[in-house]
Amino acid sequence: MLRASLTFATILLCANLPLRAADLLPADQSMASVIDHYVDALIKTNDVQTAPQIDEYILVRRLTLDLAGRIPTTDELHAFVSADPATRRAELADRLLASPDFIDHHRNTLQLLLEYPDRRNDNDFRKYLLWAAEQNRPWNQMFRDMLAGDENDEHQKAALQFVKHRAKSLDDLTNDTAILFFGVNVSCAKCHDHPLVEDWKQDHYYGMQSFFSRTFLTKKQGLGEKFYGEVKFTTTAGVEKQAKFMFLNGSVVDDGTPELTDESRKKYDALVKKLEQDDKAEATYPDFSPRQRLVETASHKDNNEFLARNIVNRIWHRLIGRGIVDPPDQLHSENSPSHPGLLDWLARDTVEHGYDLKRLIRGIVLSNTYSRSSEWDSAAQPPSPHYFAVAIPRPLSPRQYAMSLLVATRNPPHWEQWLTKSAEDWKKERGGLEGAANGWANQFEIPGDNFQVAVDEALFFSNNDRIDNDLLRDSGDRLVGHLKAIEDPAEAVTAAFEAVNSRQPTADERKAIIEYLASRTEDRPAAMKQVVWALLTGPELRFNH
Amino acid sequence: MSWSDPTKLKRVKDFGISGIAFCVAREPGSGKLFFGNSDFKVYEVDALAEKPAPAAFEAEGHQSYVTGVVRSQKQLVSGSYDGNLIWWDSESKKPTRTIKGHERWIRRVTVSPDGNIVASVADDMVGKLWDAQSGETMHTLKDHKEETPEHFPSMLYAVAFSSDGKWLATADKVGHIVVWEVASGKKAAELESPGMYTWDPRARRHSIGGIRSVAFSHDSKLLAAGGIGQIGNIDHLGGPSRVEIFDWQKGESLHTIEDNELKGLVEQIEFDPAGNWLLAAGGDHGGFVSFYSVETGKLIKQDKAPMHVHQLAMNDDSTGFFAVGHGKIAHYEFKSDSPPGPAEPPLPEDAA
Amino acid sequence: MGQPGSIFCGSADHGLSRRGFLGAASAATAGTFAADMTRLDGLKNPLLAGEVKRQQKSVILLWLAGGASQFETWDPKPGRPTGGPYAKIKTNVNDVHISELLPKLAQRMNHTAIIRSLNTKIGDHGGGASLMETGRVSDPGLIYPDIGAIAARELGRRDSQVPDYVSMYTSTEGRRKGTSGFLGARYAPMFLSDKQIPDNMHRLDAISNDDHKDRAALRDLLSKRFTQSRLSEKINSHTTAYSRVHGLMSSEKLFDIEQEPESVRAKYGPRQFAQQCLIARRLVEAGTPFVKVARAWWDSHGQNFETHRELCADLDHAMSTLLDDLEERGLLENTLVVTLGEFGRTPGINASLGRDHFANAWSCSLSGCGVRGGSVYGKTDPDGNTVADGEVGAAQVFATMLEALGIDHEKEYMIGARPIPLADFGAKPIKEVLA
Repeated sequence: MLRASLTFATILLCANLPLRAADLLPADQSMASVIDHYVDALIKTNDVQTAPQIDEYILVRRLTLDLAGRIPTTDELHAFVSADPATRRAELADRLLASPDFIDHHRNTLQLLLEYPDRRNDNDFRKYLLWAAEQNRPWNQMFRDMLAGDENDEHQKAALQFVKHRAKSLDDLTNDTAILFFGVNVSCAKCHDHPLVEDWKQDHYYGMQSFFSRTFLTKKQGLGEKFYGEVKFTTTAGVEKQAKFMFLNGSVVDDGTPELTDESRKKYDALVKKLEQDDKAEATYPDFSPRQRLVETASHKDNNEFLARNIVNRIWHRLIGRGIVDPPDQLHSENSPSHPGLLDWLARDTVEHGYDLKRLIRGIVLSNTYSRSSEWDSAAQPPSPHYFAVAIPRPLSPRQYAMSLLVATRNPPHWEQWLTKSAEDWKKERGGLEGAANGWANQFEIPGDNFQVAVDEALFFSNNDRIDNDLLRDSGDRLVGHLKAIEDPAEAVTAAFEAVNSRQPTADERKAIIEYLASRTEDRPAAMKQVVWALLTGPELRFNH
Repeated sequence: MSWSDPTKLKRVKDFGISGIAFCVAREPGSGKLFFGNSDFKVYEVDALAEKPAPAAFEAEGHQSYVTGVVRSQKQLVSGSYDGNLIWWDSESKKPTRTIKGHERWIRRVTVSPDGNIVASVADDMVGKLWDAQSGETMHTLKDHKEETPEHFPSMLYAVAFSSDGKWLATADKVGHIVVWEVASGKKAAELESPGMYTWDPRARRHSIGGIRSVAFSHDSKLLAAGGIGQIGNIDHLGGPSRVEIFDWQKGESLHTIEDNELKGLVEQIEFDPAGNWLLAAGGDHGGFVSFYSVETGKLIKQDKAPMHVHQLAMNDDSTGFFAVGHGKIAHYEFKSDSPPGPAEPPLPEDAA
Repeated sequence: MGQPGSIFCGSADHGLSRRGFLGAASAATAGTFAADMTRLDGLKNPLLAGEVKRQQKSVILLWLAGGASQFETWDPKPGRPTGGPYAKIKTNVNDVHISELLPKLAQRMNHTAIIRSLNTKIGDHGGGASLMETGRVSDPGLIYPDIGAIAARELGRRDSQVPDYVSMYTSTEGRRKGTSGFLGARYAPMFLSDKQIPDNMHRLDAISNDDHKDRAALRDLLSKRFTQSRLSEKINSHTTAYSRVHGLMSSEKLFDIEQEPESVRAKYGPRQFAQQCLIARRLVEAGTPFVKVARAWWDSHGQNFETHRELCADLDHAMSTLLDDLEERGLLENTLVVTLGEFGRTPGINASLGRDHFANAWSCSLSGCGVRGGSVYGKTDPDGNTVADGEVGAAQVFATMLEALGIDHEKEYMIGARPIPLADFGAKPIKEVLA
């Protein structure tokens, strides 16, 4: 493919300076310590009280949920608490990051992000994301795959589902790309310059749109791009303007569309029409591809602050429960990051390390900021969440919850040998778990910013026969079956707590349950079911806390 | 001398009209047509003129769609959704009598072969026989249920006399057909063609279809009913055009013709006087005229009509017809100079 | 970790009977909710004083899915080329005429206001439905709550023991559940599709009533320490959801019309839509603030007149019976009954005698609570091609519904830094149809 020469007329907007190097902490400092430095500095400056660090039980649970997408098994729990406190955290993080669990979970969370807001659950796209998670494919390359991948490459073709799903709506393509890859929501600027945000003008909206305006879906469900075509819009003052190929920071891409005679326009129109209507038509592509140019421009070192900051902020949001810029689609000058230095440092680090998401995730989960408690026992008002001084309880995603229910309700010894299993065997087992989770995951809401648990969920757990027949079955392969065989009630209570809540019961909890069991001796299995039900439906399992 | 030969079917001409023509009557020996329209008016037009120019009966007439028009000597009788039957002097084009014929919308009007009895059917679910001269009610025919099995209002669409004038058939939305003895007004037979009625219990929860046309063979032995077969998406008329032929006295169904080539409602059926073919016309967004063999039920010939056909009037020797419908009137001929051989439809291509 | 102290909340009696155990646990949870109810997710606006009054109000939305024809309902044009075959009839309000397909409603026009001047522009089912349900054009990155969720939020009680947003949509075509959008799942509809009784409302035979209650009490007991030490609305919503289970289970019978006397059931008759209206009336009577009964599918591209003959008969009977029933029970003055769909239908009549999608000049109606009965707002041109007078969009209808219920349509929810008014920016209620 020929490439037209590219120049950037870079207009720097005040809020989105390129990544600054000068006043940031050194690039070679450990990421965890950099995070804690910036977060603690703001806490200190404002004299904010912080929650304590979590104990080893909550830590292994939090890490496992975030890196493996499920709660730890009883065995993993035991292994972690008895391991060397000096090294166990990093070791666990590294083990999980290298496990098949991470690949599945990373795929699942990326899918939730990128298919937002609806549950399309496109199989090809899921496969692509799994492949990308397996490769730890750099984010900038994923960005390219999804927006301007090569149809002849099996994986990139699947990645292009991102565009294909939205190809029928130019607004969806424009907005979703801006929101998901650049962290900016420019939709208001469609009709008028953004009322709240100085940065976003109609020029930006239509500038973004012009990169997509030639994209179309062929009859063969391939992606085509037209040979010419401009985006025109009317300003609020009533003036008609032709949009430039303009990126969000004002960089303008030279229009490489060749001069066309009316005759050749007609020829190209006919060609496009044929591609749209005839599934035997052979695809032809223009030399000048606006979508390709968008990818090049947004990834270019002079312009990559949007791409880099957005993914850093999204990953931070995923692991901490709130963005450094929050909400994460409002990355602009009127909505400053809580920790600008941190955001820039992480963005710089991410660019310099080839958009390595695993590295970023690892760095965050090893920080003390990550491992603060979500409990706030003080009578004082809790600090504003933007300090990251208290952990934010995060509802489990539908899949995390489904997987955790399945892990918790298996007979705990079932998982015993798994630590010694070969990676291949575990991958298979994990695959089975993913499959089993499908039917359950559909029962639960996808958590968004204003997430609430629906009463449907409580009714489902209270009265649906799948709970009774599956999760609470008292056969030997289930937790209830395991517990009913344990004679000592105290021991049974501990086993139940470890399996479901990933910790040991407190003395009071143990006592309360033993009392309950004592009141229900005539039917021990039934009593055990009720205990397990009470734990499964508790908020402690429902949230990553 | 010419003979009818459906294989020679050709559209001689068609011309535009404003609105929708629902019904037509022809003056024998001419191309003069009277048709009832969606603009509530009755029109006269010479369809054989070089430039046919429909002329409306301008006098105060109906207050809704005109769905039936028949000739009885010098008079015309029309029926409408307004429930009225109006007698017109066809020359002065003025009404001579207006009768509140039905409580609800009149769907069709027909006349006995001798021109003495007018029959009408309406959504009050009764058929009525009228003395064409006096306008007196001769019989009120009640057998069609007011509600469908799903408790929605039913509709009574179709009516036809036998050629000997002894029998009258009426047919409704759910596929119930009744044959009445004209002299006594008594029920002589009943038949069912439930395939004409689609009730969608799941996706859209309403119905579509119904028997829209009935006709007796010239020997009065056969009775054909026309409509549409089962429809998947009842938002549209996307079902097979459907004709069922009965030996009505025996209560036997002889053929069910479902044509997926040209879909839609069969709005009218005409039998060959010689008994070989049957003509079915109607449509969906488009239209059709189709000839089938009475003996085998196989397709002889069909044409994609230029409009949805609501009704047609045969010419004097049944070698042509004038079809009226959505925005158009079309003139067809199907004649040959020599008598046809034994009726043998060509094999469908895929069976050959 | 773990706080010392009895989790039995004052119960020193450790020789607990099972009933005693249950009683103590219930007492332990009561305090938690009182605290939870005072705060709602990041949305400004705590409970207001006017709340009590508003809480008695309800909405029944008769959703005419697929798009009913204004010509065959509220805005007949007999005698015009676009008018179709049906006549207009007088109503019990002077000078107000509606289609002859709605004879029963014609005799009840004193309760109903008609809006004949909707121009909503969006003519596809999904886009039109979304627009009319939420009163605004959708916005990427933000999912707006529909009228049902807003009514549930503004008119309901947070700990309500009855469902506060019930959505019935039995037909499969165009089926939409409704959405609470950024208001969150607390206000999501209880959705009924194939069945008339919601899922999971009934205790399984496999578990005894005692066990069912005991395990819930045990759950509350074990959750208490966790929820009390964390300030999270998300966690609180989990607590609230479980606290509503037993109340909702006891509301199961609201969905069972067999509970009604035969005489009442006979009035509603055998058809499903009317029976769903009866369920709606039972729910509203019990305190449910919003019930949507979708009647699908009006999408009469072919055979418009036959389709409307059936569906208008259904609407006419169901809505008339509902209005009568509400009035007899003294509920009509507090219940707003709305007929609305995603759009109307074209003036032009196609060759299949159908009408196609049309959003440029169509009608809806409001009856009962807060409505000036017998009023007609707006006008279309003689053929119904355009709005001739009083053009309104979805936002004004939305503002009007809110105003009829006594809800301030300009009230704002704060979503992050964004203020989102209940009705779209600048929308004004149609005062002419309000009492």
